[in-house]
Amino acid sequence: MKKIWLIVVVAIILVGLTACNSTEETWDSSSNITVYTRDTSSGTRAGFMSGIGFNEAKEDDSLLVNGFVIKDNTGILTSMEIDEYGIGFISLASLNNTVKGLNYEGVEPTIANVINNTYGLKRPFNYVIRSLDDFENETEKGITLAFIAFLGTTDGLDIIMNKGAIPLDSTQTWDDIKNEYAVCNQDNSNTTIKIGGSDSIEKIALALTEAFAPKCGDFIPEHDHTGSSDGFKRTQGSEKDSDNYKHIGFASRPFKDSEQGSVDTQGQLAWDAIVVIVHLSNQLNNVSAEELKKIYNGEFLIWNDVLD
Amino acid sequence: MSNKRIRIDRFYQFMTYSAASIAVIILSMIIIFVISNGSGLLNFGLVVNDYHAKFYNGGIDNNITFSQTERPESLTSEIYYSEKWGIGLIEEENREGNTIISVEYIDIDSPLRNMRDKNNDNNSLSLSEGSIVSSIKFYDKNSALTIHGAEHMINELDTSDDFREIVYSSLGGGVRGSIITTLYIIGLTLLIALPIGIFTAIYINEFAKKNRVTSLIRSMIEVLTGVPSIIFGLMGLAVFVPLTVKYTQADSANLLSGSLTLAVILLPIIIRSTEESLKVVPDDFRTASLALGANHTQTTFKVVLPSALPGIMTATLLAIGRIIGESAALIFAIGTAIKDDISIFGKSTTLSVHIWSLMTDEPANIELASTIAIIILIIVLVLNLIVKLIAKRFTKNFG
Amino acid sequence: MELLKKNPFRDKFNSKKEAIDYFVRTFFMISAIISSSFIIIIVVFIAKEGIKPFITDNNGIGSVNLFSFITGKVWLEGTAFLSNLYGVGFIIINTLYISFFALLISMPIGVLTALFIAKIAPKKIAEFLRTVVELLAAIPSIVYGLFGSGIILVFVYNFAKIFGIQSKGGNSVLATVLVLALMILPTITALSEVAIRSVRSEIEHGSLALGATKTQTNFKIVLLSAKSGIFTAAILGVGRALGEATAVSLVAGNARSGPSFGFFETTSTLTSTMLQGLKETVGIDYDIRFSVGLVLMVVILLTNLMLNFAKKRVGNINVK
Repeated sequence: MKKIWLIVVVAIILVGLTACNSTEETWDSSSNITVYTRDTSSGTRAGFMSGIGFNEAKEDDSLLVNGFVIKDNTGILTSMEIDEYGIGFISLASLNNTVKGLNYEGVEPTIANVINNTYGLKRPFNYVIRSLDDFENETEKGITLAFIAFLGTTDGLDIIMNKGAIPLDSTQTWDDIKNEYAVCNQDNSNTTIKIGGSDSIEKIALALTEAFAPKCGDFIPEHDHTGSSDGFKRTQGSEKDSDNYKHIGFASRPFKDSEQGSVDTQGQLAWDAIVVIVHLSNQLNNVSAEELKKIYNGEFLIWNDVLD
Repeated sequence: MSNKRIRIDRFYQFMTYSAASIAVIILSMIIIFVISNGSGLLNFGLVVNDYHAKFYNGGIDNNITFSQTERPESLTSEIYYSEKWGIGLIEEENREGNTIISVEYIDIDSPLRNMRDKNNDNNSLSLSEGSIVSSIKFYDKNSALTIHGAEHMINELDTSDDFREIVYSSLGGGVRGSIITTLYIIGLTLLIALPIGIFTAIYINEFAKKNRVTSLIRSMIEVLTGVPSIIFGLMGLAVFVPLTVKYTQADSANLLSGSLTLAVILLPIIIRSTEESLKVVPDDFRTASLALGANHTQTTFKVVLPSALPGIMTATLLAIGRIIGESAALIFAIGTAIKDDISIFGKSTTLSVHIWSLMTDEPANIELASTIAIIILIIVLVLNLIVKLIAKRFTKNFG
Repeated sequence: MELLKKNPFRDKFNSKKEAIDYFVRTFFMISAIISSSFIIIIVVFIAKEGIKPFITDNNGIGSVNLFSFITGKVWLEGTAFLSNLYGVGFIIINTLYISFFALLISMPIGVLTALFIAKIAPKKIAEFLRTVVELLAAIPSIVYGLFGSGIILVFVYNFAKIFGIQSKGGNSVLATVLVLALMILPTITALSEVAIRSVRSEIEHGSLALGATKTQTNFKIVLLSAKSGIFTAAILGVGRALGEATAVSLVAGNARSGPSFGFFETTSTLTSTMLQGLKETVGIDYDIRFSVGLVLMVVILLTNLMLNFAKKRVGNINVK
């Protein structure tokens, strides 16, 4: 018995020692750059690549430097805490002080700078609803249209802003227009409105419907976010009449040519800024579109290329 | 005994001990990792609260009598207080790790105690302590929002004599609905998978002739083990969802279709481990029972099955583990709609799908995900003990 | 008597007991048929979706060439949604390579831990360990992924530094192997333990009576007799390793060309490739992921056949 515990204790100590033994070294600018990116279907990647003038690479991995790493938003963020020589891009709402967010073309990545249009790296958040003749009844159609109208009011913008996205501009309040939506004066507590599409927009959409439901007869919002392409697919595309149909879908990227629906069913609700991040010990503070393109296409291979 | 023998024995023993300790160390590292990340958010409220917050929109009439109450001395320095409106606000973190502004103190004279419900004219609203204020909207200036902070909100209130609307809510983000769903799913899935799995194992091992057909059946089941869960999920979406929609009151993906999908995932695990334990029941038992005049059925149920019980129990526990840990399949077979009212024929998420939606969010909420993982561990531990207790009783009765 | 004679059971079976036997047997057979038919449903379903890119022209993009798909060394040449030059050859190799090493690490640790729990440890410790193993089997794979990206990536990154290698933030073959080894460890341990516990004590006693030491008996008799069950554990473990996606995509680095054999190179597996972007993509890029699923099914089928063959070859002691 004693022997067992002795071995266990010794082993724990050994493992603990090796894990904690990460020596602090100085940052070496002659090291290789490790490039992190999202995959080709990501809206953030599309926004980033078109922002830095590398449109061809939006959906083509073979144009990128050899040995790039593909990760999701959180993956890139956590990798940049570990990898001293990495570079990647994430959504501004995710930025925290565990990594270093770079200025882009000399402009600091802040919400204010996106609103005043000086910060250039961003992507749109879009919505799509069912075709107006596809609604099962007038109540569902009425609530959906009222919700879309609510998105464009200052009350809607406040919620979007509270969740870290960057809203469009508006001067109307919900109080100004609510008389146009008679459906909201009746009791809708038996009506379920199904919302889906992009999961990057889930938190914003949830906050919007939670706040809007009491304003519109307490309808029941059912959120089922599975990805941007499902936004169109389940409202007007191939799955619009399946069991998974949605009344409202969201996409965190521009709609593709194959996703153009009937008139007045699609629109934008907000912007999301994209910020380039590196490890905290990195000496770089500012990066330009041209430099980023050279990093991502492999012209710049070591950090000295960027810093000189 | 030769020295060499002893040395070899020592070596083998050392190997076993070190393998076991490596396993224990790694496994406890995972558990420590989960607990150290998630214990901060673990509290009773999380387990019993609703996920969806209830929102209220309050408005005030033109003739307001302001509170003008001095700041009570009991309020700590972190609380921002408005004399005019008699309200104290504090910044806190909610379960998603975001900053929220909650009402820490509200005076009895506060006009916010007596507001009209903007959504229902016959109703009046009273702001109470513990509510979460998400925004205050004014007529002539920008709204005061959560992201601007509590101090800003109080300043804006102090410099206004009126506002258009105050939006406040209860604290959401609880996992009660997901816990209930998880328990439902465990029950339903075991109810479907255990009988089919055990019967199949018995058939293959006790009844079927040793021929090509039997070995074909066996390998067909074995191939199931390697199918990635996501494919099971897509199959559930294509087969079980329409099936349940057609024959039950469900109108879209539901808990039943999810359980059926999970049952298919579990079948190979249950069948294989039941079979393993049936195999080692000595043939003498069977022949003795048959010789005493029992028929095949009696022998199987009264002699073979009780001896195989420990194996079946391990299978059940592994199955519970798999059910509770599965997310990829359920995302397709039930969907990711987090609900507070659970029905077998409706949508809702299990705890691990809940984790999944937290992790795919931007930014991901690692803390709450770990907290839910702790809850999962607790549930598994409790179910584990219950199953073992039942099995003990059972073996006593039959043994 | 008249009534009994007309009873059809009487004609067909000699006794009531036989009749029950017949019905129970049929009932069990139906269960078995149901259980085994699911694989057909799944194969038909995936085949229907997965063959599409090869036989249709994918809305004008052109059909995918099956041979270059199977042997390809780059996931996609050209622009997504416009190109049909997909390849998974290197991913198949990566997947097998990773699963092999994961099993190589997990098998000895798992089996010996199982032996320890079943035969060596005092009863209380054994019960405790068993519960720990069962708990770990229940942790969602995404949490293993979290552990992987929070602990294992740091470990691999620093480990590579010791050798003077600058790894890609730890995202590598090694990290993937370690995460998978962790994930299949509970499955292998639990199932091996069942197999070891089920070894008949007569065999053990026989060995001890012949003068073998306890350790000798454990290694040479018990493990040997439990071979069939241990192989089953390995098969289930490999199945889980091949089919795991969520955790893998968090630590693999998702390389788009290869194959990668170096332990610090980034890599990718069939499932991680399949899952990556599945929710966000459309058209050929969506359909092709089902073709990857189809390839995965074939890989799993072949691996299973090989393991079963090996199991038969070594399973010369019939424990039943």
